Amino acid sequence: MADDKDVLRDVWFGRIPTCFTLNQDEVTEREAEPYYLLLPRVSYLTLVTDKVKKHFHKVMRAEDVEEMWFEYEGTPLKWHYPIGVLFDLHASNTVLPWSIIVHFKNFPDRDLLHCPSNSVIEAHFMSSIKEADALKHKSQVVNDMQKKDHKQLWMGLQNDKFDQFWAMNRKLMEYSTEDGGFRYIPFRIYQTTSDRPFIQKLFRPVSADGSMHTLGDLLKEMDPTALPNEGGQKRYQVVIHGIEPLLETPLQWLSEHLSHPDNFLHICIIPTPTD
Amino acid sequence: MSWCGLDEQSFHLCCQLLLQQSEQLNDGWSWEVVQGSDEGYLKKTALRVVNINPSRKWDLEGLNSESETQSCQDTERDQSAPVSTDDADDFKGNFDEEVVEDDSVCSEAAGSSLVLQYEYHILFSCSYSVPVLYFRAFTLEGRSLSLEEVWSSVHPNFRLRLQSSPLNTITLQEHPLLGQPFFMLHPCRTEEFMRPVLQEAQHRHRPVNFVLTWLSVVGPVVGLEVPLKYCTLLRPAASPD
Repeated sequence: MADDKDVLRDVWFGRIPTCFTLNQDEVTEREAEPYYLLLPRVSYLTLVTDKVKKHFHKVMRAEDVEEMWFEYEGTPLKWHYPIGVLFDLHASNTVLPWSIIVHFKNFPDRDLLHCPSNSVIEAHFMSSIKEADALKHKSQVVNDMQKKDHKQLWMGLQNDKFDQFWAMNRKLMEYSTEDGGFRYIPFRIYQTTSDRPFIQKLFRPVSADGSMHTLGDLLKEMDPTALPNEGGQKRYQVVIHGIEPLLETPLQWLSEHLSHPDNFLHICIIPTPTD
Repeated sequence: MSWCGLDEQSFHLCCQLLLQQSEQLNDGWSWEVVQGSDEGYLKKTALRVVNINPSRKWDLEGLNSESETQSCQDTERDQSAPVSTDDADDFKGNFDEEVVEDDSVCSEAAGSSLVLQYEYHILFSCSYSVPVLYFRAFTLEGRSLSLEEVWSSVHPNFRLRLQSSPLNTITLQEHPLLGQPFFMLHPCRTEEFMRPVLQEAQHRHRPVNFVLTWLSVVGPVVGLEVPLKYCTLLRPAASPD
């Protein structure tokens, strides 16, 4: 059971100050001012940028507007990753506000998923929750929920209602004391240096001898290059929600407290800044 | 209720067997390795001729209630029902398809027929312990098909059933190994519809290639036919029953 409620709140209310600027090549009728927003780390870009879209539509002709998409320093941003993951992965250790470029044409459909409506985000979000529960409880918890319970999880995220979301989400975080944790930990490890989008495999929170697996144990098995080398030199930062948790932290605790609302623990491995 | 999933090692064995048979049958499957890892996937490309009627855009939101308990087994049976050309009119002509099998075919299809390049990938989902079918489709000019266009190329018999399912069954997703958008048939029901097949096979002491059997169920939905010969190759000595 999750009991460190302050941690859950801090994670939920994490914000990233962001400046949206219109792509220079867009055709406008007058100059487009940049638009500033505090983005919730746990939400999705396309879910919280209606105001950005409206703001730029005002200076554009309807026929010049196609599906909106976002770019950061040449990288198209995948809306289906949580906002905090996109920031940690691509923009950690840079100056705030986070500067995102907004596009309304040339949608890069070899790189990005289309997002025609919020129902697509909802389907993606619920699909992640289902997958996480398949790992944690063989889908038993999510299948025992009713349709309105699923809706409560989604509405909680969509409307930024912490209590509404957690009243239901705590069920997804339960496990029996004799098990000592979930069946498997739903996690994804992201690295910008790899062509592969992320690593996702099976990993148990408790080892065969009964001790709790730590974040370090997970990385040792999945991505050993992320750990400091023998000389103790730290080449990579291991970042979750913008912080570097101790490698000794039990994975089960991280899964319960630092998972995103989609119930996955998203871990970013980024090169240690050299300056 | 026994678990009828698949572990990763068995998945690889099933794939190897399928590859051997594909080679004998010249069916075009290959194994693609992901650079810098021990993981990979089965891949096949094929040309399809599809008639898409643009006047009939499918309303993804509007269809939701038929029967949610409908299993994919039933869908498989529907597939064997012959569709006469008269019936095709009832579908408002929005589906017509033939697989291009040799160079001599590609001419007659009337109206707005399209030759499409399909790319099918079979990956292992460790979360659901089952294989998952990913695919993408391009026109010959290289434009990728939208989700609506993909739905309109799915046979109407499948479509009604599939769109009534909770996750709409065919969705655009990120390919977990390539990071590119692919269509995916959602795996959350796979174990459920494979269970009776596997139990029956076990009961009759027949060998089953999980991946092959599963593919013969889900493949036809998106135009991927699995020749019956795979099955006769698999058990040449089986009695005809």
